[in-house]
This record gives sequence, structure tokens and C-alpha cells, in this order.
Amino acid sequence: MMCWGLCFQILTLKYNVVALIMRSKDVLEKYRIGASLIFLAAFFLIFNSAGNSVPSSFSSLFFAPVVLSSVWFNRRTWFAPVLLAAILIFIQLLANQFGFSFYDDYFLLVMFIFAVVIVAFLSERIEKVRSLNRLNEELENESKKLEDANKELEAFAYSVSHDLRVPLRAIDGFSRILVEDYEKELDDEGKRLINIIRENTKKMGQLIDDILQLSRAGRQEINLSQLDLESMFENVFNDLKQSHKERDITLEIEPLPQAYGDRILLQQVISNLMANSFKFTTPREKAVINVGFEVGKNEYIYYVKDNGVGFNMKYSGKLFGLFQRLHGQNEFEGTGVGLSIVQRIIRRHGGDVWGEGQVDEGATIYFSLPIIKEKNE
Amino acid sequence: MDLDEIEILLVEDNPTDAELTIRALKKKNLANNLVWVKDGAEALDFLFATGEYADRSEEDLPKLVLLDLRMPKVDGLEVLQRIKADERTRKIPVVVLTSSKEDKDIVESYKLGVNSYVSKPVEFDEFTEAVSTLGLYWILLNKPPE
Repeated sequence: MMCWGLCFQILTLKYNVVALIMRSKDVLEKYRIGASLIFLAAFFLIFNSAGNSVPSSFSSLFFAPVVLSSVWFNRRTWFAPVLLAAILIFIQLLANQFGFSFYDDYFLLVMFIFAVVIVAFLSERIEKVRSLNRLNEELENESKKLEDANKELEAFAYSVSHDLRVPLRAIDGFSRILVEDYEKELDDEGKRLINIIRENTKKMGQLIDDILQLSRAGRQEINLSQLDLESMFENVFNDLKQSHKERDITLEIEPLPQAYGDRILLQQVISNLMANSFKFTTPREKAVINVGFEVGKNEYIYYVKDNGVGFNMKYSGKLFGLFQRLHGQNEFEGTGVGLSIVQRIIRRHGGDVWGEGQVDEGATIYFSLPIIKEKNE
Repeated sequence: MDLDEIEILLVEDNPTDAELTIRALKKKNLANNLVWVKDGAEALDFLFATGEYADRSEEDLPKLVLLDLRMPKVDGLEVLQRIKADERTRKIPVVVLTSSKEDKDIVESYKLGVNSYVSKPVEFDEFTEAVSTLGLYWILLNKPPE
């Protein structure tokens, strides 16, 4: 009976080693079946040998979890028999103290525990390495796909920038030529219709430009540098003021802390926000734009506030949505892309943007930029 | 038209864009000695007096090349590269006149030695203004080496 137990031990060990080395999927399947059979056989042996060959039945009992643990790679499947064995050894030692003995060779038992631990540890290690490799491979595949998608997007943007403009220019140009060359034949209604064509091509052109800007805001590399936002706001305001000379509009700006960001992209943010304030204060006789900041937890929160037509907070969720407009085309011009660009740029800088407003009272757009401390200083 | 006394070589694959460009130049009387070629290969044939233009005198070069970038067969950047790489044609002012506003194209064009890069406006008046301005500048105002 002792020899039966040893046979099983050798067999299961061999199975373990083979399976560990060549664990491909179908080998694993076969191995599971084999392991289950051994497990059953071990049980059979325990019941058969009860009474006359305790050590070998014990050893079979402890090898079953070894098999199990290397199939299911779970810490608990091998921890339980180890604990059980430790308790048994303890009892054995205790019993020896009082002159009893359950069986002699508990040295064998120690060896079993050792084997269980080694095998379980090995199989866990190997499985970890395998799954890490698998993850690595998947990650590589994913990043390759992402790269391809990015390239495709770039090609798409390029195509949009080039190919969509060409027919637009033809539509606008030739309807204008029609007016120039056939002025006498066209009556006022004819000219009006042609004007509608031209107005729409202009809108379409603007839309293409805005979409391209959005796509650029998303993929352009960010070059961080220290920026004087205050003067950037002032410059943008002065430029806009130049093209709206007839308007009474003032900028009230408080001293702003320096920010870290990409000059070109943040210039875009400021331009879009200021242009919005100019646009939505059009009905105001005296328009005022306030620019200021608050200190947040790890960020500066800048805001641009105007006394324009404002918006209903009910729709604040739509404020930054692409092509979302909160005003009719006949009220204010625009494509509904400006604030989407702002959001994209600010998020790429690790900040956030949100808005508050009240109908007929004005709107405030906040954007936050993380405070970056210069390492050299 | 005498192909040896060409002032402007217009390289443009799109016929409507070509017509608009020629019309804008005509308004300033700059289109009398203009040749329009429809792709990069034809442009190179013209400049180096090969293929279809083998009879042309190689010595007489246009005063200005207006070059589109995206064209079939040989694209604009390659034409630009060939013009600027060849001792005979290097001195001809080349103006890229294209729909593309991509930084990549602008940077690449200047790397290859373009003399000016103009993005075609969609709006007709702006387009006419842009084309006639650059025509006047390069044909009348600019002084090329003899």
C-alpha cells in the first residue's frame, strides 16, 4: 500500500511538471481531465487503505490539492492543505510529547508540504508571467490600432481641408461670376437667390475651418511654456475691438497669475471666449467683459464674464457640445464649434471648463489650469 | 501663343480653380502670357522642355510658377523639389497656391525653398484679391536676377 501511494506521488509530480512546461490550451484541457482522474483515484485510495497504511493515504490526500492548485492557480486551493498539514504536524508533535504516535514518518509529510508550496508557487509565477505577456501583446495590438486610427484621422482632416474647399470655392466663385457677367439679364430676385447661395457657401467654409481647428486642437502636440495670460487677454480684446469700433465695450481685467500651457492653443481658447463675449453682448449699449481668477485646490480658475444675453442654466450641459447652439441662426452667427474647441484644449491641459449664466443677465465661462511648479526654482 | 515668352506657369489640376485664377489675373492684365498645365508631370515637361514641350526653348523660363500641391501623377511638392534642385530653374520664383492650410504642407514647402505660400480663400472676393495681389507683386514689383 505504501508503494501505491509513492507511485501516485511520482505520477502527479510528473504531470505537474509536464503541464507547467507545456501549458498550451489543449494540453491544459487534457491535463485537467488527467488531474481530475488522479484526484478521484486518490480519494479511492484513501478509503481503501484507511487503517493499514496511513502515511500513503495522507500523502495522496495532500497531492490532490497540489494537482488542483496547479490547475486553478488559486492561492486558496493550496493554502488550505498546507494549513491542514501544519496542524497535523503540530498534533503529531504534541502527541509525541505524551508518548503517542499516529504514524512514524511525518518527515514525509513535511516533504509533501514543501512540494505543495513549491509547485503552487511555481504555477502561480508562471501563470502571472504568461498573463503579463498576453496583456503586453494585447496592449501592443491596441496601440497599433490606435496609431492607425490616428493616421487615418489625419489623412481625413487633410482631405477635408483640401477637397471640401475646392467645390465650395467653385460654387461661390461661379455664382459671383454669374452676377458679374450677366448683370443685365438678372433681375433683383435672381440676384437675391444667388446671394443666398453665396451666404451658404460662406457658412460652409466657416464650418470646415472650425472643424479643422477642432481636430487640430485634439492632435497638435502641446508645448508647455510660461504664459502671461493677462496680456494675451488684452491683446485679443484689442484686436476684436479694432474690428468692432462702433461698439461701446470695455474690458475689466484683474492681474492674473502666470499660467503653464501651450501658447498657440491657449491663444485659441482666449480668442474663442472673447469672441463669444463680443458676440453675445451685441444687443447691449454698454458691454462689459470681466476677466479674473480664483485659486482652486491645485489649480487656478480663470473666468470670462460678460453682461450679454446669457443662457438658461437648463441647457448648460449643451454648452460645450459639438454643433450645439443655444441661440437661433437669425439671432447670432456661429457654427457651435467654438466652445467645443475650448473644452478640448483645456482638458488636454489637464483642466476643466464650465459655464454659468442667466437669461438676459450674462454668462460666465470658467476654465481651470493645474498649477505647475517650476522644478528649477 | 509663343511658348518661349511665358510669364506665368499655372500648375493646377482643377479646371474651375484654374478658371477662377486666370480670371483674377486677367482683371489685372496679367494673364496674357500664361500657360496652364494640368498636373506636375506636365509642369516638369514644360520647364525642362521635354515630352510634349520638347520644341520649346529651354532657355526661356517663366517669371513665376503658381503651383498647386495636390495633383495626380507628380504632386506639387515633388515639382517644387525638382525646380529648386536644378541649377537652371532654381531662380524661378515659385508660389504655392493651394487649398491646404495644413502646417505640414507649409513647413515642407518652405523646407524645399518655396518663395511664397498662399492658401486659397474660399470666398470669391478674397480669392480674387489674393491672386491678383500676388500676380502684381511677383510679375511687376519683384526684381529677379538677370
